[in-house]
Amino acid sequence: MLETVDLKKVFKNNVAVNDANLYLDQGESVGLLGPNGAGKSTTISMISSLLVPTSGDVKWHGKSVVKDPKTIRDVLGVVPQDIALYEELSALENLKFFGKIYGLKGKELDTKINEVLEIVGLEERQKELVKTYSGGMKRRINIAVALLHEPEFIIMDEPTVGIDPQSRNYILEMVRQLNEEKGMTVLYTSHYMEEVERLCDRIYIMDHGKIIATGTKDELTSILSSEETILVELDRSYPNLIQALESLDDVLQVTEHDKGIKLIVPKGCRLLGKVFQQAEKEEAQIVSINVQVPTLEDVFLHLTGRKLRD
Amino acid sequence: MKALFLLQWQRLKREPLLIGSMILMSIIFVLSMGSSSVGDAVSVPTSFDESINEEERESWLDRLNQAEGFSFFQTDEKKAREDVALGTVPFSLKVMENDYQLLILNESAELQMLDQVVRQTFINEARLTAVEEQVNQESFREEVDQYMSEPPLVVKNETIGTESDNVGYNNELQVLFGMTLFFSMYTIIFSLSKIAEEKRSGTMNRIILSPVRKWQVYLGYMGYSFVIGFVHIVSVFLLFKYVFDFDVGDHFGSLIVVVGCFVFSVVALGMLMLGSVKTLEQLNAVVPIVTVSMAMIGGAYWPIEAVSNNILLAISKVVPVTYTMEALKSIAIYNQNLSGVLEPISIVLLIGVLCMGIGVNLFERKA
Repeated sequence: MLETVDLKKVFKNNVAVNDANLYLDQGESVGLLGPNGAGKSTTISMISSLLVPTSGDVKWHGKSVVKDPKTIRDVLGVVPQDIALYEELSALENLKFFGKIYGLKGKELDTKINEVLEIVGLEERQKELVKTYSGGMKRRINIAVALLHEPEFIIMDEPTVGIDPQSRNYILEMVRQLNEEKGMTVLYTSHYMEEVERLCDRIYIMDHGKIIATGTKDELTSILSSEETILVELDRSYPNLIQALESLDDVLQVTEHDKGIKLIVPKGCRLLGKVFQQAEKEEAQIVSINVQVPTLEDVFLHLTGRKLRD
Repeated sequence: MKALFLLQWQRLKREPLLIGSMILMSIIFVLSMGSSSVGDAVSVPTSFDESINEEERESWLDRLNQAEGFSFFQTDEKKAREDVALGTVPFSLKVMENDYQLLILNESAELQMLDQVVRQTFINEARLTAVEEQVNQESFREEVDQYMSEPPLVVKNETIGTESDNVGYNNELQVLFGMTLFFSMYTIIFSLSKIAEEKRSGTMNRIILSPVRKWQVYLGYMGYSFVIGFVHIVSVFLLFKYVFDFDVGDHFGSLIVVVGCFVFSVVALGMLMLGSVKTLEQLNAVVPIVTVSMAMIGGAYWPIEAVSNNILLAISKVVPVTYTMEALKSIAIYNQNLSGVLEPISIVLLIGVLCMGIGVNLFERKA
């Protein structure tokens, strides 16, 4: 349904996106994962026809979006990362305006507005000014605007940034319903691993403008199937202990993790004894030790050498 | 396009402060400057020598006040000297039996005019007194007054033309036109800056992704800026014409056409500025510089005739304010109709078309 072919965008001398190839099938929910500055927003700007690629193409049902942006615009809904609303107007006024520019009017417009307000759960506060809304409510109206014209394909660019867990949960559930119950194709970008894990059938991992891995969650975590993660929780930070653990033969990767240390080691290696020994040597207080199967976060760390939210 | 146009009015309804304050500022400035400065009668404190009695003093004040541009009022000499010394007044007059004295703070053009007026009044009075003594007739003065009220021959000087140096000076209209045009530029350009604001907030991307065509987007915004600027100027003109009795001539329709051309050129200039800057902050910094410079060079603050520097005069030739002020004054002061100001308004339109072309092009390139 949607395909990008060797998509590239260069801003002056900075290559923001480099030969990105991705595809989405109808009704799929696909995650685009990457840290800030990875090129996610530039990629979706090119997909949505807002940016013209330096080279490469975006194809919607085989037709070039670069040559004729209209091919995708009529069926596309975009939820931008920023709150793209008129804050001095009410939610209802915003929805009316955006509905009108999509050619909706009269009863049809009113019906659509009621539908999207119901989806985002803001029917009762529709007449309040957007500037009086909480961050979560603004995000919900931001999504509602993108749903007004019933798009076939929706791009969501980090729609849960900076909101409380309750609103975040609401939005994630809403996206899941749109995808599963209404059959909407979703391209979801985020740097929250758990959101992508929860919502997406397939995931693209992007870093420094390149797509470095792709697959389902299981496929991606199988990259680390020969490895396991040891999470050592400590009472405080011990920089010397990290150095000491790095010097151990079997340790593949050591990173500081909250108050503890995360080790990626070959599966089945007997390393716990050595960890205790080093902790004792550095007089570090171990609170707990956990051996885990790899997560997408670990995969990302393994592939890029840095955390997702760096 | 209609939705975009109406949206701007809806937004204005919610946040009317900026535009409202610009209209209010026009009114306040015209009221304060139009009623108190250069073109109005300049007050001249006048003291008299002790040898002149009260009746004669009244007669002198009447004679002096017949001259246009100055208003003579009686004061005592001590206060007059004090006021001049303190700089409260620029000059004062002391009338003596056969002579007069001017107490001055500094040399000025007004002082020279005052000296001429007073001297002429004294010469006329000396002539009349001399003849009166010769004819020795009590009704002489009355006869002279009667004769002068219906003179057998009247010489009237009038100059008609659109050259700037021919345009007469009327302070009320200078301030009304100048200040209204000046503040309307803010109204127009700030209302147009919503485009930059929307680009930053992301709403513009939403509009671009919708089926609305690009020319409709531009027309929606520019149409709003045009109308709000037009309403600003015309409402201030109407207010001063009907409420404050400013004489704006008999061709108000022609004034409106000139205003329309000016507003179009400023909208175009706003587009050029929008296309030339990178951020909204840059635009906010550039707008006052451009508008104030244009108002100064274009003769909105003071008559262009007051500018003698050749470089400034050359720059004024590419500023729409110059031609608009010229056209407005020609219509209001010399009662010209639209055909008489075709040249200046054509230049204004030409400037507008050029700015619009370049501005939209630059803006599109950035997009």
